[in-house]
Amino acid sequence: MSGTLELRGLTRVHAAGQPPALAGFTLDVPAGSCVAVLGPSGSGKSTVLRLTAGLDSPDGGSVLLDGRDLAGVPPERRGMAMVFQRPLLFPHLSVRDNVAFADRVRGVPRRQARERAEHHLELVALRGYGDRPARALSGGQEQRVALARALAAEPRVLLLDEPFSALDTTLREEMHDLLADLRVRLDPTVLLVTHDPAEADALADTVAVLDGGRLQQAGPMRELYAAPASLAVSRLLGGRTEVPGTVRDGVHSSVLGALAVPRPVPDGPGVLVVRPEAVRVTSPADPAADATGTVVRVRRRGLRALVAVEVPGPGGASVEAELATGEELPAGRTVGLVLPVADRAVVPPVDGTPSDAARSPISHG
Amino acid sequence: MSTRQRAVLLVLPALVPVAAVVGAALVSAVLLSLGLTPLVGQPELSLDAWRAAAGDLGTATRLSLGIAAAATVLAAGVGLCLALAATAVVRRSRLLGALAALTIPVPHLVGAAAIGLLLADSGFLPRLLGVAPGDWPSLVGGQWWVAVVAEYAWKESAFVALVVGSVLASRARSYDETAALLGAGRWARFRYVTLPLAAPALGVASAVTFVYTLGSYEVAALLGRPYPEPLPVMAVRLAGSIDLAVRPQAAAVAVTTAVLALAAVLLALRALRRLSAWD
Amino acid sequence: MGLRKDPRAPHHSHARGGALHAGHAALAAWLVLPLVPLVLWAAADRWTAPAVLPQAWGTAGLRDAVDAGAGTGFLRSTVLGLVVAALATPLGAMAGRALATHRVPLGGAVLAVLLSPLVLPPFAVALGLDVLLLRLGVPSPVGVVLLLTVAALPYTTVLMRAAYAAHDRGFEDEARTLGATARQTVFHVQLPLLAPALAGAAFLAFLVGWSDYVVTLLVGGGQLVTLPLLVASAAAATGNEAQVAVLSLSSVLPPLVLLVAVGLVGRRARA
Repeated sequence: MSGTLELRGLTRVHAAGQPPALAGFTLDVPAGSCVAVLGPSGSGKSTVLRLTAGLDSPDGGSVLLDGRDLAGVPPERRGMAMVFQRPLLFPHLSVRDNVAFADRVRGVPRRQARERAEHHLELVALRGYGDRPARALSGGQEQRVALARALAAEPRVLLLDEPFSALDTTLREEMHDLLADLRVRLDPTVLLVTHDPAEADALADTVAVLDGGRLQQAGPMRELYAAPASLAVSRLLGGRTEVPGTVRDGVHSSVLGALAVPRPVPDGPGVLVVRPEAVRVTSPADPAADATGTVVRVRRRGLRALVAVEVPGPGGASVEAELATGEELPAGRTVGLVLPVADRAVVPPVDGTPSDAARSPISHG
Repeated sequence: MSTRQRAVLLVLPALVPVAAVVGAALVSAVLLSLGLTPLVGQPELSLDAWRAAAGDLGTATRLSLGIAAAATVLAAGVGLCLALAATAVVRRSRLLGALAALTIPVPHLVGAAAIGLLLADSGFLPRLLGVAPGDWPSLVGGQWWVAVVAEYAWKESAFVALVVGSVLASRARSYDETAALLGAGRWARFRYVTLPLAAPALGVASAVTFVYTLGSYEVAALLGRPYPEPLPVMAVRLAGSIDLAVRPQAAAVAVTTAVLALAAVLLALRALRRLSAWD
Repeated sequence: MGLRKDPRAPHHSHARGGALHAGHAALAAWLVLPLVPLVLWAAADRWTAPAVLPQAWGTAGLRDAVDAGAGTGFLRSTVLGLVVAALATPLGAMAGRALATHRVPLGGAVLAVLLSPLVLPPFAVALGLDVLLLRLGVPSPVGVVLLLTVAALPYTTVLMRAAYAAHDRGFEDEARTLGATARQTVFHVQLPLLAPALAGAAFLAFLVGWSDYVVTLLVGGGQLVTLPLLVASAAAATGNEAQVAVLSLSSVLPPLVLLVAVGLVGRRARA
């Protein structure tokens, strides 16, 4: 039942003269996989889903399902089902009849459709809720029913448009577990849209980062963390250290000194990014230290603390590091920093737009 | 002052006049019809007025119910089409929505005058169609009350369109998309989503139309025939009679109409409760 | 959504599109056709059958209408509509607020009573009350205003109840924390936010007074000759179609102007 989805150069311009909501977006969603489109609000990620579902038509590019171009195919004949952020359960139907909806409009006899609906309600752990009116459910239950309703349509691709972002943390994690469980049991092809890197990490095999309507990078989450392709990707994934400098012969020179880069990078200006989890704080006398600086800010993050270390020099640089569990450091302490070679990444500088410069933590100090 | 007291104080200025007028009118009409408050002579409990009116009352009741039912069915059908056209996700007609809204403030009396000018045997429509006055069926004042039904259907279809359209406009689109993604085609979406969503509003609007038509006087008076009469026309004729002794008969007709209207509303409410699981 | 391209457009065959257009045209004709002879007759001096258009244009209809008392009738109807609106709007707003935001004892029953004028035929109420008002010596214009205000209250109450139910009390709470008194909050926050609903309610109440015929006829006792009474008496006679048309149009135009004005108030409030 699961199909292979290919998006080829999708472009959508909502109004002439405005920047495109989506520009040349290409993505593969292999059968049985879960791909997440990750991006901030306004990045065009919902447009990807609407174009895929046929709720909107692209100004360029195509949507292929199992190799077949879906141009001109109306949403109801695309074999996709979508779960939106709002559950949108039909208010005039019971929970069971909501789940049975796809079967009923396909002409399946009422009895049989209801039996199948009952089965799908069990899949989302809502057995016995069938007789309730759709309005008599809690938010989490509503979203489970919406998921069951979509699954009962036996879609070849399941589209999820931030389906869990209106739920609280506990419910969201329950839904993540449920979806992971459903993937094991049903092996659906899933295209998920989210703004939450943790959600993408928890659910998806592959993540495509979208910013300003353009695909920034696609790959497994681990790869995106290790080697972000741009500042936008690094920032979206929670990267906070950005040290501008120059690369020559695989070595990045900046306020932090000359640091070897693990992957080949073209010579020229480049920004060094390192995730706070990778940075190790040590004593300033430690010979392994790549740089020394002063702790300027400490933020609690559960059992661990996140410290910002100011490294002196022309322009200065701020490096963020996560301390080990239970470790404490007061502000004002001088420390050494170890930036493991494998965790260093260099991305191209944003070409001098002031808004981007202002957003970078460096200028804030 | 408690919120309860505040609420009572806020609601009383509206509640008192309504209760007083409606209560006094009903009680007064019932008493008058039973001979207890005659304009001339001694009060005496009797069913004379009811007996005297009985024959025409039956005919008038059937006629009134027939006109109201025909007008309601037509208004509901056309109104639903108007609402669908004005709120359709695809090829929405803003013009139809605007035209329907502009028809709302036209008084029924003016509607009756307009329909008269349109449908009379020398009216605009036979001229437009090139039919000679002699060959044109008598729609105004004719046997089938066509002009009367047409006026109510015309005015009330705009009302139905407005009520149903506002419900569809607020919720149709997102549900329509959801249903499409679950595989529902154009007809299935109408049958399983749009119609059930519109049904409660359509039912309420139809009930209002029916009750209004049942109790409305001027259109039937202007476009109908002298005999038989629908209930309101009969009541107003009797009430205006020089013979004060027939006043109680007018009251009997008024009470009959009020009871019919009330019964229609109660039946409609029961049906609507079954129809909709939500408010 | 006007700019959005129709995703299902490729599936419209020409035949289906054509049928859709024919359907829209038929619906538009249904709405507009009855008003066409009204407009033509209003400007026709002579229009005998079987001519499709008037043979002579002119203002004879207008002259006849003015001679029949259209001027004073227009004025009386306007005053009646305004008085009914001025009474029914605040009363409906207060009742609507109470029903929407406070606990009214027996709220359902109270609402049913307030809606009862919708159910009871106006002629029946007028007939029942006529005798009583006569015996109590209530002047007939006062009786007309009373009955029409009661007839308008269901509309204003329902509309304002819905508006208050949708109204976010958070704005008022915010105003109070910023130092506004209860009274200031009502006048500076609540009423401006509810202006579109109030305008709509006042419009409906005005319409009730403006377009009433049967209550004015039965309770007014012939003293209060409003525009609808003139329309009815002209339409009951034959051979004065032009006068009927002019009187009819003059009782349609003010509500239309008001409707557009109310729409503009609503739009400005939303912007």
